[in-house]
Amino acid sequence: MKFLLKIIKDFPAYLWSGWGALASIFLFIACWDLGAQLYGELVLPSPLKTFATLSEMLQSEKVWAEIIITTKRAFFGFLISAVIGSVLGLIAGLFATASMMSRPIVTILMGMPPIAWIVLAMIWFGMSDNTIIFTIVVASFPLVFVGALQGTRTIEDDLKEMCDSFHLPPLMKLTNLYFPHIFSYIFPAWVSALGMSWKIVVMAELLASNNGVGAMLANARAQLDTPTALALVVVMIGTLMLIEYVILEPIKREVELWRD
Amino acid sequence: MNQEQIATKHYLHYPKGDFPPYLAYGFRAIFLLLAPYIVISILLWGFVFSGYISPFSPFSSFSNDMLSWHIYEFLYGVGIAGVMAFLFTGLPELFPGTVPIVGKKLALIVGLWVLGRVSFWFIDFLGVYVVAIINLTLFVWLISYAVKPVLLDPLQRHASIGYTLLILFCIEVWFFGAIAGFWSFMLLDIFKVALGGFMTLIILVLRRVSMEAMNEIITDERIDDTFIAKPPRYNLAVFTIVTFTIVEFLFPQNQILGWLGLAAASAILAILSDFVLKNESIFFKPYTLYMMTIFILMALGYGMMGYDHLNSQIYGLNHFRHFLTTGAFGLSIYMVMIIISQIHTGRHLTSNLFITFSVFLIVVATFIRALIPFFTEYTMIMYLSSSIIWALPFIFYSFQFFGYLIKPRIDGIAG
Repeated sequence: MKFLLKIIKDFPAYLWSGWGALASIFLFIACWDLGAQLYGELVLPSPLKTFATLSEMLQSEKVWAEIIITTKRAFFGFLISAVIGSVLGLIAGLFATASMMSRPIVTILMGMPPIAWIVLAMIWFGMSDNTIIFTIVVASFPLVFVGALQGTRTIEDDLKEMCDSFHLPPLMKLTNLYFPHIFSYIFPAWVSALGMSWKIVVMAELLASNNGVGAMLANARAQLDTPTALALVVVMIGTLMLIEYVILEPIKREVELWRD
Repeated sequence: MNQEQIATKHYLHYPKGDFPPYLAYGFRAIFLLLAPYIVISILLWGFVFSGYISPFSPFSSFSNDMLSWHIYEFLYGVGIAGVMAFLFTGLPELFPGTVPIVGKKLALIVGLWVLGRVSFWFIDFLGVYVVAIINLTLFVWLISYAVKPVLLDPLQRHASIGYTLLILFCIEVWFFGAIAGFWSFMLLDIFKVALGGFMTLIILVLRRVSMEAMNEIITDERIDDTFIAKPPRYNLAVFTIVTFTIVEFLFPQNQILGWLGLAAASAILAILSDFVLKNESIFFKPYTLYMMTIFILMALGYGMMGYDHLNSQIYGLNHFRHFLTTGAFGLSIYMVMIIISQIHTGRHLTSNLFITFSVFLIVVATFIRALIPFFTEYTMIMYLSSSIIWALPFIFYSFQFFGYLIKPRIDGIAG
């Protein structure tokens, strides 16, 4: 509770510190506008045109429904990979043999391009939600697994010994030593996994689904509707930034505060 | 409170001799002349521009171009006086080997500034070359004073200020060259570039002034924290302002300026995070609010100009620019005057009702002037009232601080 109150208390200052990030985003949009002026609206619609299209799109309930479908898929995929990855990573971290054994498998999983997983998943599950969720899980899981594994493996023995010599109760050991340390590794891994889920969901939908933002993107491509395509990209980036910077980042900062 | 606590940093050398208080330190003579000059200039301009008095022909070729006179005098008349006060006061502190300018030397340089102002009024009789030489000589002298400590400093701690001054000097040469017919440029375009230069200078100067003023308050009030003006934030603001200025000069109608304006506004607002300290809150201290207001006005200026470029329904670019001139520029000059007049006469930095009211008036005058496009039916009255309201703080300053400027420091230190 104290932790949550601290996050809420620091939130306005944190939010205000976002002006610098906003400045670089506007600079990026200025470069985008320059590109639009150099290459023409057909190749690269101007930011104003894109935002106008976006605003028009967001008036439609159908578009909102598609966004919600994509969000649900990404969220479920992320949730499954976060749970499985965290649990298995923690277990692997506790046993050196499991850690040694799992490393090459993780490398294989991380090395496999997501597009290959999509093809396999389409053969296994057909054009269904399962294909998309499976691809997300398999692409995001290794990130979380490695984070949890490292978090468990890197707890300093000196600190453990100190806890033992003071005979700290197990709950105190868990909340004061294990949890803050492991969480500071696992949380950034969750953030990365979420970003990965977001990217994969669109790609998977584009290839293996007839609904969701990815499918809308495929339609826009087929009709050479670049403003809509870019507007959809803006939706995806905007949503991810909102989740990452407004919800996850304040927690991450608080979690990692002890490192100072 | 002992002397060390009142003025923690000081010059190492002070020239020998007995100097009258108004010539005992750089800022004194300058502020004694600057405050009335600001009042006269803005009131004259307000009445002329709103049509209540006719342009003061025949003694100025700018009688048909009062706008150029107005802008030049505020940027290179008032602005340079502010720079002089800042450098003459700040350099001996920032670089303790620098000897303060006092006595006859100070009288001479301030006299040159006065000559510069008067000569610009009589440009028809004196000719552009004479006026240019007088005004440029002042700038050359100023830069030569700053070169050694600022630009040749091996650590380059404050070199950005020196380079900005050099650029502003080049812009002034460009301006006089354009009047003399050496090259063909719209004077207004040159002024816009100069304004970008001055906004950059204000950002750079405020970084130093904030550090001094905020930490002075923190020490005085025994707050257990330190104010640090973080350079990356200021650098980002400077970068966006410079980019906006260059693009505006080269492509004045380009839509990119919309995004660049918003970028500059955001970067300037990001500076405000400096005022959130790690352990203690100084957020609602008067000087924190005053300093923050400067940045907010500047951000509003660039933000509204950006909005104007992105919105074809609004035609208020030059009105919104007054968030920068009437607002950020005016309040910066006022704050520099207030802070220096207190700290460097041996007093604690304090606020009072007059100062708060003055800041409020500058903000009100700025909004009246900048929001004219939304109330076009009241244009003339808004021009005039904005000028009058803007002049009041400098009148109050004269009553409140002239006593400080013509008397010796109260802590007994020379200067």
